[in-house]
Amino acid sequence: MPMDVGRVQKEIRDIERDRASGVTIEVQGNSLQKMIGCLKGPSDTPFEGGTFYVNIELDDQYPFVPPKMRFITKVWHPNISSANGAICLDILKDQWSPALTLKTALLSLQALLSSPQPDDPQDAVVARQYLGSLPEYRQTAKQWTDTYAHTQQVVGLEAKVQQIVEMGFEREQAVVALRAAAGDENQAMEILLGA
Amino acid sequence: MTFEVRIKKWHAVASWTWNAGDDVCGICRMPFDGCPPDGKYPGDDSPVVWGICTHAFHLQCINRWLQSQTEQKCPFCRRQWEFKQAVVGGEDESEDGAGT
Ligand SMILES: [Zn+2]
Ligand SMILES: [Zn+2]
Repeated sequence: MPMDVGRVQKEIRDIERDRASGVTIEVQGNSLQKMIGCLKGPSDTPFEGGTFYVNIELDDQYPFVPPKMRFITKVWHPNISSANGAICLDILKDQWSPALTLKTALLSLQALLSSPQPDDPQDAVVARQYLGSLPEYRQTAKQWTDTYAHTQQVVGLEAKVQQIVEMGFEREQAVVALRAAAGDENQAMEILLGA
Repeated sequence: MTFEVRIKKWHAVASWTWNAGDDVCGICRMPFDGCPPDGKYPGDDSPVVWGICTHAFHLQCINRWLQSQTEQKCPFCRRQWEFKQAVVGGEDESEDGAGT
């Protein structure tokens, strides 16, 4: 059975309408199966001031199976792989319910940034640091936020956007992909091509 | 001159509503007076069912979810799912559903 496109379209409209939620979403391509989510780092955390991009893939079975989500932006957090952005969060696994949505999932990721669960880690090294020395963890996490999640640091963004637009992509898509890739044109192209 | 009228298609129009608290199915997000994604016609083809927890879904939608799960839980409240009653054509039939 093909994916429930009607529901996904409604979900996207709902996110676009609710500007106050602090999460946004950008569809990649025409199929509605690949998108990039975006969330702000919660205040009073080492992620404050950062903008975090999340790769989203929807299976044909969605919403009966969870969306596949992975951080594109590098994050230092016990439940997020510092190597590949894989996320350990129960609602993206066995606690998924079709009553949840892309928006609630993105908001849950934001909540996860605020409240790490080191007992159920995705990244053992980060979890050990979190449990062993909280100040050190906070410092590293903040450094990573400053280095990878500050999108205003994308140098020469406009020129790169133009390049990508000339290759036939939408301007909005180009901006999101470039931001998500922290200005790396090759990675941005990979995101746009769904690689 | 005579005209012959042949009825090629009969489109029945009836007014009905589902007596559901929330008017949107929590799984497919379609109104209860519309179709779930794999239903062709609203109404008899897309019955609405309640759990004993009072949450309502299209029959097709909740069945597809329960069939994909080992534990039978309501998508909203995660309580054990049990069908409360079937409502047909907008009229309450106060008999208990399956499983009792
Ligand atoms: Zn439904
Ligand atoms: Zn319920």
